[in-house]
Amino acid sequence: MVTGSAVIETEGLTKSYGTFQALKGVDLRVERGQVHGFLGPNGAGKSTTIRVLLGLLRADGGTVRLLDGDPWDDVTELHRRLAYVPGDVSLWPGMTGGEAIDLLGSLRGGLDEHRRTELIERFELDPTKRGRQYSKGNRQKVAIVAALASNVELLIMDEPTSGLDPLMESVFQDVVQEAKAEGATVLLSSHILAEAESLADKLSLIRDGRIVESGTLAELRDHTSTTIHAVLGRPLDSAAVAALGDAQVDGSRVTAQVESTRVGDAMEVLTPFGISSLTVTPPSLEHLFLRLYEPDDTDAGP
Amino acid sequence: MSESLTGTRPLLGALAKHDGSRFAPWVLIVTALSASSVLVYPWIFPDAADRAALAAAVGSNPALGLIFGPAYDLSTVDGFNSWRSLALGGFLTALGAIFLVTRATRAQEDSGQAELLASGVMGRSSRLMAASLLALGASLMLGLVVGLVTVLFGGGWEDSMLLGFTFAGTGWMFTGIASVTAQIGGDSRSANSMAVGTLGVLFLARGFLYSVEAPEWTTWVNPLGWMQETRPASGNHWWPLALAVGFSVVALAVGFYLQAQRDFGQGAIAPKPGPGRGRYTTTWRLALRQNRGPIVTWSIAFVALGFVFGFFVTSIYDLLGSDLAVQQAIAGGAVTPEGLVGAFMATILSMVGIVAAVPGVQTVVRIRTEEVNDRVEPIMATATPRWRYYASNVIVALGAPTIFVLIAGTLVAVLASSADIGVELGDGVLQAVATVPAVWTVVAFSVAVIGARPQIPVAAWIGVLLSFAITLLGPTFNLPDWALAISSFWHVPKVTLPDPEWIGLVWISLVTIVFLAVGFAGFGKRDLATTPSTPLRGPARLLAGAGE
Repeated sequence: MVTGSAVIETEGLTKSYGTFQALKGVDLRVERGQVHGFLGPNGAGKSTTIRVLLGLLRADGGTVRLLDGDPWDDVTELHRRLAYVPGDVSLWPGMTGGEAIDLLGSLRGGLDEHRRTELIERFELDPTKRGRQYSKGNRQKVAIVAALASNVELLIMDEPTSGLDPLMESVFQDVVQEAKAEGATVLLSSHILAEAESLADKLSLIRDGRIVESGTLAELRDHTSTTIHAVLGRPLDSAAVAALGDAQVDGSRVTAQVESTRVGDAMEVLTPFGISSLTVTPPSLEHLFLRLYEPDDTDAGP
Repeated sequence: MSESLTGTRPLLGALAKHDGSRFAPWVLIVTALSASSVLVYPWIFPDAADRAALAAAVGSNPALGLIFGPAYDLSTVDGFNSWRSLALGGFLTALGAIFLVTRATRAQEDSGQAELLASGVMGRSSRLMAASLLALGASLMLGLVVGLVTVLFGGGWEDSMLLGFTFAGTGWMFTGIASVTAQIGGDSRSANSMAVGTLGVLFLARGFLYSVEAPEWTTWVNPLGWMQETRPASGNHWWPLALAVGFSVVALAVGFYLQAQRDFGQGAIAPKPGPGRGRYTTTWRLALRQNRGPIVTWSIAFVALGFVFGFFVTSIYDLLGSDLAVQQAIAGGAVTPEGLVGAFMATILSMVGIVAAVPGVQTVVRIRTEEVNDRVEPIMATATPRWRYYASNVIVALGAPTIFVLIAGTLVAVLASSADIGVELGDGVLQAVATVPAVWTVVAFSVAVIGARPQIPVAAWIGVLLSFAITLLGPTFNLPDWALAISSFWHVPKVTLPDPEWIGLVWISLVTIVFLAVGFAGFGKRDLATTPSTPLRGPARLLAGAGE
């Protein structure tokens, strides 16, 4: 069932809270050594999935494998090999950030002193403040430092940067890249697209308790359309407009939406009319992502 | 309305709607306390002989006076009710008012709700004003409800209404005190602790000074003493209520003054930077760290309790000598003085044990609070098995009360053995040790609740409430043995008897083990509490909705 390279594999994972079905069959596969983006709107089931992976919640149905173990039964053994950054970090009010980092580190089985010092410096964190004094962003930093200071195989992060400023966000991206370079696998839940776009090797999009798309960025882009703006020497004839499919013509200007795989075909149609200016915009993840938020109609897969 | 109070009215409305219901249980308990007295009195004490026996029983047990205060007149329904309800009812109302004020001020600041409010069109003092008005209104309502319901159940009109108003008055005074501590404490918990601590000290001081027949002025320096001096059903003095109103106005004024001085989210006591490195490397040390403050505070309280109770035991002959019924019993050979002292000490140490169970249950309930606040989740995401986290806290919850009972028990034993009343030091200490398993049973019940059915954390307190009610009131109400046996403290052997029944400790320890097993199994198997997202709750949500 589990191939050697999958660090996380779930099939048909379901979980309900009372009558509310939070997960309706999640199929998620995260390969070793990759950064896997886990995207979806609020309430789609990201945090629930992550909590099942952490053995905090018990799945109702389906199969879950994590680091070749069962997240519920092999909980302590697995947790030595992973670290977690919650989305909503809640610290002990009277305990300093430094104390919290050391506590979580030693409960995980020790942390890398050198790395701890370096991370605190890079994130400009004051470890002597008490939990209740930290802002949201600083609480987030405490959790990030605590997780990254132990050299673990798997990092599970639930919207880790939601309180960070842009400068710290870029530090975070560097640090995750470094962890990946050292061989760590990262599951990164987010709804910040730029973050996922720049970090993730693969993406899974979750909506309403189900994974609706999964693949590399390039694969996901193939499913969406590329925008072509062109200024032509002479206006398009009707046959050419029909060939382009979805096109708007304004005199010599043309704006067309074509499938990513058919950009070459479109060029062949346009070239005879004498291209004087041309921009081809690849689909952004945002297009893809916004579709997740649209009412349930065309795109919601089974 | 001045500018600093802008927005008080809508805030008060929202608060009343959301937090008002939290006060309902207090109204219920106090009403039940008072109404049940008038209901059962004629039934249990139908004639004058029974009532005289009750008076004798109460007079012979100074420990009762410590909790309930002076019994001015136990020969009428209303006199009995005001003895049984006045002190406790006021205490409970004050607790309700304190929690209401702290919750609507500091707890909101800690959770961030208040920030949303403070940034809206809202005067600087509006939140404190709304919180104070809510607590004042709720206390007053409690007083009226108690008075009217008691009348309905057969209490006298003026006696019952005055009794109700003493509760309201106590609630008002502690609204004022809570408004001050809410400005001083570093966070909501310390604000609550300070106010509840003040209440506890004043409550014990009142009972103690009454029981040792201290000079009369000692009653008048204690605000709780003022309420005592209204003497419902045996004099009906209304004017001390004016003192209560005056006290709360002054305390509130101090509260508002301090509120204007302090920064949002900070108490008057500013926090210092802490250590950059941690020494807490295990869940066991974390549990100790989290309970460090309460353990220190409670230890001090138990030293005080040990002295107070020890003093009681040494003066037992003075206390009992004035009581005719007891003298007759001794003279008739029905009881020996030594047996009486031994039984008295066992009762005293049971009371110490019940009080010691409170911090134990608090520690267990805190596990749930930590869980709901997402602070257990990061720990469970490390290589910590659930049972180990739970066990660390349970050991503290069982261990701390053990130390408390031994502290107070040793002090009682030392004082008693030095007073030449026929008590050996070893007897006293042994009695304290014998009480400990009964405390464990009560705490273990809360371990079962929080482990297996944490959705109703209030249920964790059932053990404490039952043992308190049964141990203190059971014998007075002539409850049958099977009912008394529900309390684990009933099974504690009296070690000074020739043949103490140690087997009782085995039974309650078996029950303890079952409770612990249920709790650990539950905590290991259930889903941890999750907050899928952080929706606005309560007043913040109402106001946010209204602003759109």
